[in-house]
Amino acid sequence: MKLNIDGLLVYFPYDYIYPEQYSYMLELKRTLDAKGHGVLEMPSGTGKTISLLSLIVAYQKAFPLEVTKLIYCSRTVPEIEKVVEELRKLMEFYCKQTGESNNFLALALSSRKNLCIHPEIMHANIVVYSYHYLLDPKIADLVSKELAKKSVVVFDEAHNIDNVCIDSMSVNITRRTLDRCQNNVDTLQNTISKIKETDAAKLKEEYRRLVEGLKEANVARETDVYLANPVLPDEILQEAVPGTIRTAEHFVGFLRRFMEYLKSRLRVHHVVQESTPQFLKDIFEKVCIDRKPLRFCAERLQSLLRTLEIADIADFSAVTLIANFATLVSTYSQGFTIIIEPFEDRTPTIANPVLHFSCMDPSIAIKPVFQRFQSVVITSGTLSPLDIYPRILDFRPVTMASFTMTLARTCLCPLIVGRGNDQVALSSKFETREDFAVIRNYGNLLLEMSAIVPDGIVAFFTSYMYMENIVASWYEQGILENIQRNKLIFIETPDAAETSMALEKYQEACENGRGAILLSVARGKVSEGIDFVHHFGRAVIMFGVPYVYTQSRILKARLEYLRDHFQIRENDFLTFDAMRHAAQCVGRAIRGKTDYGLMIFADKRYARADKRGKLPRWIQEHISDGSLNLTVDEAIQLSKHFLRQMAQPFRQEDQLGLSLLTLEQLESEEVLQKIAKIAHQT
Amino acid sequence: MASLSEEVLLVVKKVRQRKQDGTLYLMAERIAWGPEGKDRFTVSHLYADIRCQKISPDGKAKIQLQLILHTGESTTFHFSNESSALKDRDAAKELLQQLLPKFKKKANKELEEKNRMLQEDPVLFQLYKDLVVSQVISADEFWANRLGDMNNSDPTPYNNKQDVGISGAFLADIRPQTDGCNGLRYNLTADIIESIFRTYPAVKQKYGENVPHNLTEKEFWTRFFQSHYFHRDRINTGTQDIFSECAKQDEKGLKSMVVQGVKNPLVDLLSLEDKTLDEGYGVSTTTPSTSNANRTVKESSNAAIIKRFNHHSAMVLAAGSRKGETPTDQASETSSTDGNSRDSDFFQPPVRLQEAIEYEDLQRENRLKTVALNLKKSDRYAHGPVPLQSQHYTTSQDIINSVNHIRHEMVNYKPNLTQVLSSTAASSAITALSPGGVLMMTGTQQAINQMIPTEVQGELKHLYAAAGELLRHFWSCFPVNSPFLEEKLTGHLEEMLQTAYSKFHVWQTRRMLRKT
Repeated sequence: MKLNIDGLLVYFPYDYIYPEQYSYMLELKRTLDAKGHGVLEMPSGTGKTISLLSLIVAYQKAFPLEVTKLIYCSRTVPEIEKVVEELRKLMEFYCKQTGESNNFLALALSSRKNLCIHPEIMHANIVVYSYHYLLDPKIADLVSKELAKKSVVVFDEAHNIDNVCIDSMSVNITRRTLDRCQNNVDTLQNTISKIKETDAAKLKEEYRRLVEGLKEANVARETDVYLANPVLPDEILQEAVPGTIRTAEHFVGFLRRFMEYLKSRLRVHHVVQESTPQFLKDIFEKVCIDRKPLRFCAERLQSLLRTLEIADIADFSAVTLIANFATLVSTYSQGFTIIIEPFEDRTPTIANPVLHFSCMDPSIAIKPVFQRFQSVVITSGTLSPLDIYPRILDFRPVTMASFTMTLARTCLCPLIVGRGNDQVALSSKFETREDFAVIRNYGNLLLEMSAIVPDGIVAFFTSYMYMENIVASWYEQGILENIQRNKLIFIETPDAAETSMALEKYQEACENGRGAILLSVARGKVSEGIDFVHHFGRAVIMFGVPYVYTQSRILKARLEYLRDHFQIRENDFLTFDAMRHAAQCVGRAIRGKTDYGLMIFADKRYARADKRGKLPRWIQEHISDGSLNLTVDEAIQLSKHFLRQMAQPFRQEDQLGLSLLTLEQLESEEVLQKIAKIAHQT
Repeated sequence: MASLSEEVLLVVKKVRQRKQDGTLYLMAERIAWGPEGKDRFTVSHLYADIRCQKISPDGKAKIQLQLILHTGESTTFHFSNESSALKDRDAAKELLQQLLPKFKKKANKELEEKNRMLQEDPVLFQLYKDLVVSQVISADEFWANRLGDMNNSDPTPYNNKQDVGISGAFLADIRPQTDGCNGLRYNLTADIIESIFRTYPAVKQKYGENVPHNLTEKEFWTRFFQSHYFHRDRINTGTQDIFSECAKQDEKGLKSMVVQGVKNPLVDLLSLEDKTLDEGYGVSTTTPSTSNANRTVKESSNAAIIKRFNHHSAMVLAAGSRKGETPTDQASETSSTDGNSRDSDFFQPPVRLQEAIEYEDLQRENRLKTVALNLKKSDRYAHGPVPLQSQHYTTSQDIINSVNHIRHEMVNYKPNLTQVLSSTAASSAITALSPGGVLMMTGTQQAINQMIPTEVQGELKHLYAAAGELLRHFWSCFPVNSPFLEEKLTGHLEEMLQTAYSKFHVWQTRRMLRKT
């Protein structure tokens, strides 16, 4: 159908539309009109992607000078492939409606299949790729540097974007890294001496270039051709490479000295934590390495590798890592911390020193993106509470909205199970984690659910260790045996290949009617990337609140940083983080309005307002006061009732006018008023 | 009975049956027993009729063998030869063990089916007792229309037969019982053994290799239950039991499954992320090392349990979809030990990309319109009938008063035949006054329930069901279009109805008598 979104003609490749899609497009258009950034939360399965694509493509067609390109970033390969498929559908619809042939170029990039050469990116109207291509400075420099300023950037599934940012800027150095680095440096040394004999002019030419400085890059950035690289800060572009590392040999010598220093730092017997200025001070005192040459390390190494015409850069990953670390550590005096741990906490007898250089400020990596592109849209099914994202990513959105799912029938049933049948409080909190009674009641919950829920059940635990212990305990108590009478059991393991196999078998068992249970962990790959549509997930059980492991020093440092710089309290952040993962887990089961599923929160702490309030609105509004502290039996009764109702036929007519609109309905004033209420502005 | 041409496989003397000495004969198709000094068999069972055999536990004074028939009857033989009783019994048992499965295959599928139906459906069983056992109708007739579907609509039932899968919990069903002297006893049935073999072909292979040359059957299973293999939480510490190889084989199978990878790209976690961070980057790249050296015994045992559960479920699933493989299919064994049934290759991941992005409700429906079930009260459908709650409460005094009042009126009631109700009004009044009617809502059902002893209710129900069944037979004869039906109708059906009626009558009078 053809829609009129606030005066914009939008081709929408379906006969009907969900009210929230219409509302979403309105908000999106407002964002684009204002040339600002937006944060939009809309439940999965309400056609977010097609709404985004339809509107932005229409916008591009209508205002080709205002928006030249759409950069669509998603997280997983299947997600990217889905986007491409939806785009294809949209383009076909355009062709059919307008009768014109398609003059839109869209490109999808993924490392395995079709790595695209970047001139093509310049010309494409739409680019679809993974987050890393834009956020990881190491790749962004190669792929995304020249993207036009007048692009719209969409980060889909963006609920974890802060972690992606932090990961892309953090470095870990072990003894092994340094050993490999040593080999790299040796190879560099040899190559240099060989080249010196055969082609000394080449090295001289490089030297000349370096005296000229990084002018070229600077010109590009000033004329706004390039996306800034957060690793390569502005200031150094105006300077020439310092003399101490200008010749190739000097630079290699410099790298050696730096490496030796790092080696000495790894010879510690207790944990050391320091700030970047402290680190720089120490390195100056110990080995007389100045801050300035360190900052040029990454760029200088790239230049050397180019000059030496080394084809396989991958072999030099270790030395590149060290050089990147040198540049980062000397560039940012804030937002990073250095932690040196002599051994793993679990194995204090085995020496395994690691230097963690951790980014604590996600805004550093994403800053160039917000600065460069006129509109950046952050969207996901679970982004609650919305206001925290602009805070931790340090940007000012022009629109922030959370959309509910309009439903003709309540197809999700969130229940908070706080007690066992014996009134024992259920919780995964540390004090009761080993409590036999809690584990038994959890087992009982799963057992009872396995008897009443058809096909597939997915259960998530707070961590892998926790799951292992519970599974062992359930095995000893014979609970798993009893569950096996109802369904087959599959369990996630740390091995991705093994888990994939288990997943496939799980689906097979759901498919052939036998029914299965998948035991999995929050924050794991399954919880982040696998959808359990329809009968693949009729119930999700979240055992406990998935708090992150709080004893980690890196996390503690990050929490302190958040408190000091963003005024976010530790507990608020931890709860926010736990709840977004819980929401991700339970949201796996509902993938559309024709889908249905139970969402069981098995921990009494979910009932508290500070937890519950952080769930996405579309889940929160279906938690009734009566289902805040249920016993296992009560939950089973409610579930039975829910499942029976859902099993009744559900037809399109039931939805029409309520959660599904025709074009005519969309034109009525009354409906438009209703739609206005869907977007919940914050 | 005993034809001379019958091949006798085993003769065991000094076998007592019902305290009578005699000789046991195992023949090609049946087992028979004849008392000493007589040349005819007083006991004879076709192997096909035998459901299973049971033996007395070792150490019991009496050495016995019991045969249980499909009909539920059983015959017990007591081996009384002092010197060789145990040997005799085992010889008979072994031979039966080989023979019975062959006949089980051949055994009347129908019989099994009937048996199953009767076991699963208590009402049908009662009906069977009422009609067949009391000889109102013959068993054949009873089954004629019940099994009709099975036989008629499906001319080649064997080919289209759906394989029965394996219960996921079959291992759990082997509940060990203490035998009272520091030991455990496991009860194995043929079904469980088959389940084990189908799920774990490696065990079957071991069985084939070791039994009976190296181990007796009993020893084999004893070792099985003692093995690390059976107890999933124990890690294999390298003890050399015969099952350690099975564990290795399982491990190998699991590995090969993992190496094969998954066909559905949407569940492939390995290729989920487009770009994982290079080594050395990221916050949490130092995942706790999973090398065995660093793991505690408990942790590795936990990991072992998890692995075994995944493997078990995969094997059960594979065994369920493994078609057309008879348990004795030797050639297929090696190929199926890895748990990847060939059939699972045909399993197509349903969520293809196209489907994954499809919003079926956003598209105009163009499939066939179907008639939807129109439920006025879907709640009642979901929950079954709920007793109506009376809204108005009447005191017992009110009730007594009104009853007295009505009684009083009835005593003085004189029918005024010239002014009777119209037939419609009368029938509606009857409806209203019948149980379930508008005027009889409150408590009537309960009153009937309470008034009549459950025993009587039960008997009445049986009679009702039996009569209903007969009537079903009666009506199924119409239209009478074959001589057989005509014969049935005019001949014994009438008789049957008569019998049923008299049966009811007998019951009624008996009840009446008892009451008064």
